Amino acid sequence: MARQIRKVVVIGANGAMGSGAGEVFAAAGIDTVFLARDHEKAREGRDRAIALAKSERIADHITLGSYDGDLGRTVPEADVVFEALAEDLPLKQKFFAEVDRLRRPNAIVATVSSGLSIAAMAEGRSEAFSRHFLGIHLFNPPNVIVGCEVIPHAGTAREVVDFVGELLEGPLGRKVVETADKPAFAGNRVGFKVLNEVAQLAAEHGVAFIDALVGPHTGRALSPLATIDLVGWDVHRAIVDNVFENTDDEARDSFALPDYMAVLIDSGHLGDKTPARGGFYRRVRDGKETKLYILDPARQEYHAASDVLTELPEFVLRMKKLNHVGRYRQAMGVLLEAPGWEADLLRTVILGYVSYGLNRVGDVVRRASDIDRIMGYGFNWAPPTVLVDLMGAKEAIAAIEAAKLPVPPVLEEHAKRGGKFFEEPNVDPGRFFVG
Amino acid sequence: MANEPIYVLGGHQTDFARNWSKEGKHISAMIREAVEGGLEATAIEPKEVEVGHVGNFAAELYSMQGHLGAFLLDVDPAFSGLPTARHEAACASGSIAILAASAEIEAGRYDLAMVVGVEQMKTVDPKTGGDYLGTAAWYENEAKGVEFPFPKLFGRLGDEYDKRFGLKDEHLAHISAVNYSNAKRNPAAQTRSWFMNEDHAKATGKFNQVIGGRIKVSDCSQVTDGAVSLFLASEKYASAYARRRGIDLARLPKILGWGHRTAPLQFDDKVAESRDNPYVLPHTRQAILDALRRAGLRDVFGVAAIETHDCFTTSEYMAIDHFGLTAPGESWKAIEEGVIEMGGKMPINPSGGLIGAGHPVGATGTRQVLDAWRQVTERAGDYQVEGAKKIATLNIGGSGTTSCAFVVGN
Repeated sequence: MARQIRKVVVIGANGAMGSGAGEVFAAAGIDTVFLARDHEKAREGRDRAIALAKSERIADHITLGSYDGDLGRTVPEADVVFEALAEDLPLKQKFFAEVDRLRRPNAIVATVSSGLSIAAMAEGRSEAFSRHFLGIHLFNPPNVIVGCEVIPHAGTAREVVDFVGELLEGPLGRKVVETADKPAFAGNRVGFKVLNEVAQLAAEHGVAFIDALVGPHTGRALSPLATIDLVGWDVHRAIVDNVFENTDDEARDSFALPDYMAVLIDSGHLGDKTPARGGFYRRVRDGKETKLYILDPARQEYHAASDVLTELPEFVLRMKKLNHVGRYRQAMGVLLEAPGWEADLLRTVILGYVSYGLNRVGDVVRRASDIDRIMGYGFNWAPPTVLVDLMGAKEAIAAIEAAKLPVPPVLEEHAKRGGKFFEEPNVDPGRFFVG
Repeated sequence: MANEPIYVLGGHQTDFARNWSKEGKHISAMIREAVEGGLEATAIEPKEVEVGHVGNFAAELYSMQGHLGAFLLDVDPAFSGLPTARHEAACASGSIAILAASAEIEAGRYDLAMVVGVEQMKTVDPKTGGDYLGTAAWYENEAKGVEFPFPKLFGRLGDEYDKRFGLKDEHLAHISAVNYSNAKRNPAAQTRSWFMNEDHAKATGKFNQVIGGRIKVSDCSQVTDGAVSLFLASEKYASAYARRRGIDLARLPKILGWGHRTAPLQFDDKVAESRDNPYVLPHTRQAILDALRRAGLRDVFGVAAIETHDCFTTSEYMAIDHFGLTAPGESWKAIEEGVIEMGGKMPINPSGGLIGAGHPVGATGTRQVLDAWRQVTERAGDYQVEGAKKIATLNIGGSGTTSCAFVVGN
């Protein structure tokens, strides 16, 4: 069946994900309706889309509307209805009931949920709705971060999944991974395991030290705790709680939200979105200067960064120097061989990421390259197989065993086969490692 | 061609969207990644390389680093003692490095040469970078104290066309839109995920400000970090290489023709010199004619596509008539007739060119020849020009000062 996408309706187009996704559709020249509670809110979404595209011309493909005034008129004309409301299941279900009633028989309905059950959202809906319903998980801001998950539930028609995959990969310029309908899907499951583990370690080792230890030199654009501040502590809690409550795998304990975070969230510390309170970091303007303060998790107070910053272990400095001149393999060798408890700690986190990520193959995704794609294109982290290639497969297995972590079957198979593990074309592996 | 043929064996281009300063990287990391990627892609052993040539414009300014040839030795112990040199001719530096390498192969000195074009530009803010680029003009007379001198100089190229033949800015906007659109299909292009269309390129506003004269942001190539390696070989090495890889030697592309001319450095002197010439930049025209003649081609229609130097839309506008796609001053006809688009009679910049793919100054000439190699070996993926047998390139340093052209193919 030849489908064409001429019109997309975005529900919740005022939010970050709604306006960002709307920008992606409109940039491809698709007529996109931005719906929000009222026109003013929809206009805010359009303005954000203009800012993301850095062009007023993006608005040529955008029309505005409100739920009360325009849902009933625009949804029946839509080829795709894209829901980007808050992560609130009853709210989403209420809108989906309405969309079910209004949609054209062939229209695709997608949710941008970052981890709620797709099947639960489809519950109670007509069979036709269910066949055309799936998750499209974009990462913020989607005009820059092109990684994307497509999540069918058991009732989604294969034809719809394939079509949406082609639409996203083609005109919408995404790098797509199909994942199972499991808590947090693939990217957030693997990514937040690491982020929360580092947040747990911060209670014992301090924010500044642990965030620098697992810093950009280990293959990420942003250090882990700065990432949680950027994402928002409330979003972080929602994701790790969901995984902790609804999964039972080898790393379940890594998803337990640290107590100090629970306390601080209750008193309004949500990271960068609450700049006055802060998160792991707080930036205070002092005249022309911005002063950085860092959280002390034990006392739940902030100290000037200049008083807190600890010296990094010598092996970390060596890794950075090697990355600086492009010697990534040697930098990884330093990580594998460095003595001392700091190196043991870092190996546990990095090899834990490799082990946990590749162990999701067969569970959440089909192939190792799926995990690679979403971690590389979605999180801007060195994909697990890139780390394995730099370490050497046998060396990686030995190090994973030494850290008392489970060796993923796909890694064992790869080690027997030999050759390069990372197979995503047109990616410079060096781009992930900061000097 | 009586001379020793120069075979092109391939190479590697770094992702031009990367910001190596944000990655905390030294320029040697760029050289290393380009070389390692090229060795892997071509399956050439480091010990086989006999000479190395680096094209770079201004690492002394951007990175406080000269003597770049020596960084090749840092890549692999097998390069110990390798003869190397660095070449500079502003934005044509990459092509000059190719010319130097091929001259040595023609002379019979070496059988396998490695060429690297590299520029790290995001080390400084745009205004400082613009000032550095001014050293590609006669700095004291044309650039000192001028904010963004080069957009202004290439704006004047547009003005000269306007004066002699008439020029509509909408044609420049179309050139910009075509390059951005092509770049979307190039996985190593700097702007592959950027939003751009013709309406945006036509309009002036908050997001498309005038930089100088008739040049807006959308008319400009952007500040780019990038490195490109390229491996060139004599027939002796290429024969052994082809045998080893089970390829027919006749299928390995060659540099079929080259052109290299220099015009007076100052833009006013160029214009004065060409006053009575049908071409605004006659030396650039001559470099193209030299390359076509050496390749045994009667005219440009013997190639399947062109990778040209669109540092600004006006330089591509100039290239269209200088390549002979139209009569002098009639470049607009090729634009209106869709000649330069993918699927057109003569696609220009399938890669996205400098505007779309990016312009790491000293790497651009090398990138163009690597893209030509990709096209004629059918490795250009989504930006492949179907059935391309020969590709022409044009690389320009300064305001039309140093012009280098190549024809690559079988």
